[in-house]
Amino acid sequence: MKRNFPLLLVLVFGILGIIPFIIPHPYVQNTDEFLRNNLLKILAAFALILGLGSLLRVHYDKIRRKGQNWEYSWVLIGTFIITSIIGLFGGVSGTGILPTRIGSFVFDIWTIYFNIEVPLGAAMFALLSFFMASAAYRAFRARSTEATLLLVSAFIVMLGVLPLGNEISPHLPSFAQWIMDVPNVAGQRGILFGVALGMLATALKIILGIERSWLGGGGE
Amino acid sequence: MKMINLLTKIDRRIIYLILFAVVTLPIIFPTAKSVRVMPPVEKLYNAIDTIPEDRALIIDFDYDPQTLPEIEPMAFAILRHAFRKRIKVLALSLYVQPLGLAQNALVSVSEEFNSLAKTHEDSIIYGRDYVFLGWQPPPLIPILGMGESIVNVYRTDYYGNRTDTLPLMKQVKNYDHVGLLVSLSSGDPPKYWVEYAQNRFGLPVGAGITAVSASEFYPYLQTGQFSGLMVGMKGAAEYEEQVERELAIKVRRKASESLSSLTYAHVVIIIFILIGNTGYLISRRKAKSSPTSPTGRPR
Amino acid sequence: MTGILLAGIFALSPPTDVHVYDTPDDGGGAITIEWKLSVDDAWLQRYDIYRSENGGDFERSGFIGSGRDQFVDETEDDKRYVYKVAAVSETIISFSEPSPVVNSSAQWLNRRKINIIIAVIVFGGLILFFIQHARRGRELFVRKIAGLHAIDDAVGRATEMGKPILYCPGIGYIEDIATIASLNILGEVAKKCGEYDTKLINPHADPIVYTVAREIVKESYTNVGRPDAFDPDSVYYVTDSQFAYAAAVDGIMLRELPATNFLVGWFRAESLILAETGASTGAIQIAGTDQVSQLPFFVTACDYTLIGEELYAASAYISREPLLLGAIKGEDWGKVIIGAILIIGSVIGLLTMFPILGLFD
Repeated sequence: MKRNFPLLLVLVFGILGIIPFIIPHPYVQNTDEFLRNNLLKILAAFALILGLGSLLRVHYDKIRRKGQNWEYSWVLIGTFIITSIIGLFGGVSGTGILPTRIGSFVFDIWTIYFNIEVPLGAAMFALLSFFMASAAYRAFRARSTEATLLLVSAFIVMLGVLPLGNEISPHLPSFAQWIMDVPNVAGQRGILFGVALGMLATALKIILGIERSWLGGGGE
Repeated sequence: MKMINLLTKIDRRIIYLILFAVVTLPIIFPTAKSVRVMPPVEKLYNAIDTIPEDRALIIDFDYDPQTLPEIEPMAFAILRHAFRKRIKVLALSLYVQPLGLAQNALVSVSEEFNSLAKTHEDSIIYGRDYVFLGWQPPPLIPILGMGESIVNVYRTDYYGNRTDTLPLMKQVKNYDHVGLLVSLSSGDPPKYWVEYAQNRFGLPVGAGITAVSASEFYPYLQTGQFSGLMVGMKGAAEYEEQVERELAIKVRRKASESLSSLTYAHVVIIIFILIGNTGYLISRRKAKSSPTSPTGRPR
Repeated sequence: MTGILLAGIFALSPPTDVHVYDTPDDGGGAITIEWKLSVDDAWLQRYDIYRSENGGDFERSGFIGSGRDQFVDETEDDKRYVYKVAAVSETIISFSEPSPVVNSSAQWLNRRKINIIIAVIVFGGLILFFIQHARRGRELFVRKIAGLHAIDDAVGRATEMGKPILYCPGIGYIEDIATIASLNILGEVAKKCGEYDTKLINPHADPIVYTVAREIVKESYTNVGRPDAFDPDSVYYVTDSQFAYAAAVDGIMLRELPATNFLVGWFRAESLILAETGASTGAIQIAGTDQVSQLPFFVTACDYTLIGEELYAASAYISREPLLLGAIKGEDWGKVIIGAILIIGSVIGLLTMFPILGLFD
């Protein structure tokens, strides 16, 4: 029962997920909308509580054990509490019951978002360009004919997408575009066909209860 | 051997430092470069330009702070285009993070127009010319739900107004009244729109995406599932170029200004790859002449 | 200008042949109205759509720009409607003849999706056929997938070094198949961790995925008879913010120095940030995603990469369960069919370029 009940749920909800795609009747569409709009939201809310609980528990435990860099866990718990209070009681832009302004100093949730999350996020993403340069330098070697072709097309595309490419030759951007439009699309499409069929097979295997790794492995 | 090591094992910090310098300097001293508009952007521009007057444009703001420099100029350029051509705009986000950025873009561009407007008719009015629907999780709910009814999915807008009281929402009820949806995203949302909204309701979809994810979106353009495509900083610069050329809107072109950084960064990466390969080829030649010399396993 | 004047002086021709029908393949609530454009279409401002409900007066229910000959009107299914289409210029309005009575209704099948249904039935049938085939005990060959072959060694290496294994499922949601495939692999990896008593670290970016993963890991430990070895804090939620998550996982890589990093699931731009940091710590890295644009980064910075469908095949490959292997065989035959259709389509497409052959006239 412990194993069969989840399998039955997956079968029922899996089929319920497919049906609205082909049946436009309101009976089906409304049921689908109820499942998506209401049920899923409630599930997501509960899962979020569990998730946040786990995050706090892991860090509390780390502080208790004095694990490596445990001091940072205080930073996490502290900022978690502060942003939660401001978010829950201060409203989006200081419209809640909690005052989020002292003189000209504003600390509502958008101020925090724009002044902390935005620059931190941008900094992390910017790291990508550095990592890309170092990874390209390390790994892009003309080891074989294929690798050399890859290297040459990379140069063409890199130059072709820049105004510089147009200055070198007006054909370069067009050639770069052709590489993206034709050989790139051909390769992508090959992978996409595989992915699409793989998705179908995976979905089918799960709905029919053939794939049970998500239940912690096979067996009855 | 020392020479080969010098070429193939440059400390990554040196690469980072040089890259930092070439990216930063053009940002400190910006100059806007004009660019050649390529067909994918031209298609998107035309798709927006030809939206019939009884249909609206939906802009899905799905970029986050991380990808803001690349995608925000696209949002600004499209909004300028739409507002100048008096195309009605519905804005939304599929995720919570981009909400602030979407609001910023909408307010900035509408104020830009309103500061030049002479009459109420000329102005860009919230509720009449554009509506910011906000965020309704999870993403599939609005994508599928708006095909039936937009006001049912978004009962209130971002500012808490009831959507059924807004004049624009009385005209735009579902995808039947939408001419095009442009998904400005750093992730998969453009595909979601195609897979769910286009497949199910026939909604035309265009996209603005980051350069890093460009390759996987081209098949959608080729098949016509995307009505047009803007890729990265270059795509944004092309749209800026088109807007300036066709609509004579002269404003600061942030993407075009950033192209110099992009140019130098690409050139530096190319030079480093060439240096690495020179070292590699020398080492290979040496390895051939002395079969005992070690060659490292590539990573 | 001349046009408007002319239209103002002379009467406008109305639209003709108004054809109304229940909009097909929908959930009801819509009627499609089609008409032949007015002869004076070029001078028109728009077409107005008028309707009468249950025999009442005609009222305007919508409008559409000139040059267009179709309008979909929102209706109520239990009412009967009659339509008129009016050609409207700046000063004149000219009505068509009223349409026959029509009412809207909901359909039970969207016929536009029949091609998709057929494709799904064909491919689903193939997969089920091969699963059945495998059930009868036939041997199925699956080529060696290096990344999956390396899982055993990777876990063994971590055990020998006394270091943990990091399993990062990416930032996808539970509805992403890559995430589901990743959770399947997680189950197998967790079993091996349980067997060898190796520490597993499994940080998450989505609360639902986290909840599911926790149960999977727990069940896996139980299945190999080591429920006591399961540490509930080894599976935890971090944040749904993409780069904050990347920063957190980078931090784990640098602090805990895992012997093996699994970066398997749904990834976006954080892929290279994770893979490069992992490479700098000297860990063995096994990556896998169906996000094509992230594959080059993984191939560059990781030791093994599962490309696209290899990821989906993983749990079948690891568990060697015949039923799952049967599904892979079915996928392969699906690809053969798609390949054949593509070739036939391309040949036909090429033939149409030679009009002299007179094909498809």
